[in-house]
Amino acid sequence: MNYTDILSSKFEPETTGTTIMAVIYDGGLIIGADSRTSSGQFVADRCADKIDYIHDRIFCLRSGSAADTQIIAKHVRYYIDAHAQELGRLPAVATAANLFRNFLYEYKDSLSAAIIVAGWDPYKGPQIFTLPLGGSVIEQKWSIGGSGSTFIWGFCDSNYKENMTLQQAKAFVLHAVAHAMFRDGSSGGIIRLLNVTKDKIEREFIDYKDVPVK
Amino acid sequence: MIFNPEFSAQQQHTTSPIVTGGSVIALAYKGGVVVGVDTLCSYGSMADFKNVEKIAQVSKNTIYVSSGEFSDFQQVVRELAKIDRSALQYDDGVHPSPRDYGNYLARLSYKRRCKINPLYLQNVIAGFHNGERYLGLVDIYGTYLESNFVTTGFASYFCKAIISNYWNDNCTLDQAKQVIRECFKVLFCRDCRAHDVIQLAYVDEQGAHLEQPERVETKWDFSGFKNRANEKLHTQ
Repeated sequence: MNYTDILSSKFEPETTGTTIMAVIYDGGLIIGADSRTSSGQFVADRCADKIDYIHDRIFCLRSGSAADTQIIAKHVRYYIDAHAQELGRLPAVATAANLFRNFLYEYKDSLSAAIIVAGWDPYKGPQIFTLPLGGSVIEQKWSIGGSGSTFIWGFCDSNYKENMTLQQAKAFVLHAVAHAMFRDGSSGGIIRLLNVTKDKIEREFIDYKDVPVK
Repeated sequence: MIFNPEFSAQQQHTTSPIVTGGSVIALAYKGGVVVGVDTLCSYGSMADFKNVEKIAQVSKNTIYVSSGEFSDFQQVVRELAKIDRSALQYDDGVHPSPRDYGNYLARLSYKRRCKINPLYLQNVIAGFHNGERYLGLVDIYGTYLESNFVTTGFASYFCKAIISNYWNDNCTLDQAKQVIRECFKVLFCRDCRAHDVIQLAYVDEQGAHLEQPERVETKWDFSGFKNRANEKLHTQ
């Protein structure tokens, strides 16, 4: 398969075959993702950061076509930046979710994009909005996405609890993403975690050797 | 290259729905209209979102529910919310009636049908206005019907018989709710894309009332079910 020739009929566009996850805990939320970007069978980027910055306390997790999701995230980042400048305070997570939703809904026939918008705002605290294909918006306490998510629905359904502590939530996300990477060929590499709270953002890099399930 | 069908394979034409809501059942009763829907949004065959509240109150005395593509439902809710706001511009104190919403949605659906880009929905509008009940059905093509009872999706196959036998349009609210609950029990048993947690809402002369989601009780412990183990068939 010739994966470098864009004109070839066998060219498969870069997608984020992926595992992405966000979970609200008592005091904030944890975001987790694997690091593999695949172009068909080739690992185009083995250490990608799929946790995209939208605003100081708003992030998005992208799955589907890398090109589609990157450009939409770029637009939403710009709009939110302008909006926050005018507002003079932190924008609402729902606002970012709505901006994503407008793209995904209007261009539903041309896009292959599913997004999880997760963040904290001073109005409603930590929130997660899932935007599947088609452009619906559904608010949830926890959300998983990407091709790897199919392998961990059972794990997540049985291990999720409301009002977890930070440590419990981190362990939940870490193990869930690890399990997905274990079985999904399109997910792999290292795990990136992000803890979003009122006061700070904490990034964590889980090296391949520390991934709990291999 | 432009006409290479493989190259365009990545473009998905979504005239087929992706995230879908299940059957809707609505019945008129003496004094109003009651609507029921389950709280599930399916992603194909997967029960993806299990506690979605799908009943929209578009005005004081009108509620809107639909089955089909959930993003189109959310879009229609936005469109219908605009109607009441824009009516304020006339400054005559006249608010759109439930029938106005039903008619508007029928025109919107028909326009999209003519462009071969439908709102992938079966819509139910329920309301109470000037002492009269209103229950309207608008389908994916923009076909508009008013009736005393409406069903969408699988409920149209399974539930009409139940409704015919146990309901009449002069029954009480509780009787109508019970008929709807029975219908959803049957749907949960026989529809793969159904969920046993439902939400009811009713509109009477006081306006719209939305209730909390509730679980319907289905019976599975029939002795015939328990005793039908296969080894019994083959070892006696």
